[in-house]
Amino acid sequence: MIAFVILAILALGGGVGVVVARQPVHSALFLILNILALAIFYILLSAEFLAAAQVIVYAGAIMVLFLFVVTLLTAGKDDAEPQEGLAGQRLTAGILAVLAGGGLAVLGVLYPSQSIPFGLPPNFGNLHGMGLNLWNQDFVYLAAVALMLLTAAIGVLVLNRPQRRQHRAGVKGEDS
Amino acid sequence: MIPLNWVVGLGAALFAIGAVGVMVRKNPLIMFMAAEMMWNAAALVFVTFARSFHDMTGQVMAFIIIGTAAAEVGIGLAIIVSVYHHRHRLDIDEVSELKG
Repeated sequence: MIAFVILAILALGGGVGVVVARQPVHSALFLILNILALAIFYILLSAEFLAAAQVIVYAGAIMVLFLFVVTLLTAGKDDAEPQEGLAGQRLTAGILAVLAGGGLAVLGVLYPSQSIPFGLPPNFGNLHGMGLNLWNQDFVYLAAVALMLLTAAIGVLVLNRPQRRQHRAGVKGEDS
Repeated sequence: MIPLNWVVGLGAALFAIGAVGVMVRKNPLIMFMAAEMMWNAAALVFVTFARSFHDMTGQVMAFIIIGTAAAEVGIGLAIIVSVYHHRHRLDIDEVSELKG
């Protein structure tokens, strides 16, 4: 219970920090705190492989990509948050989300699922058990995610393809 | 042994905080990070129920959530960068007309 309280405070603090921080860099650092707290939760829930994947993929790859883009787009700028378009939008969103999230949290705490008390099956949560599932019954999902990652990579290439005409015009301008 | 129902409650709270971030902030990068936090909250609940029912399928779903988030971050950040190249402002209302 003590471990839960400490980790929950870390995760919630990171989450609130992401929303409240003024600079996107601070948001990214708070999100890393949140992700690492969740990784320790995964270890406590006997999902060792997922904890490693969370640290490597999220805190490693995704957050480094985020930090690259944040430094690329907001370096040396101190833009204030723009005005809200709809009056009272923030207050309404906050109240509604706190009501919905608080209701869900209270329901989740008050009505615990019927957990199985006796010991865990072998290979629960490690790479072996994960592979047994991913390559037998859940292979469809694995193939779908592989296709989606390939599509995303091609999509990024198409979105950021070099624009030939502008490039040629720029070269011509330099020559003249 | 940590209390599983409280972990589910924590997942709901993180999801709500992420939803507040998506709705309240107007910087697309911060909105994107809040959406990542919502993914993470769902994955945490999946892992908790996997532990609760001693069934690996929940962990497989959390693994797929991590893979999906990787693809989503790649394509989303590419969209944000290309919008920024056109508009030179980080404000989500810049794309409210859906014109490049």
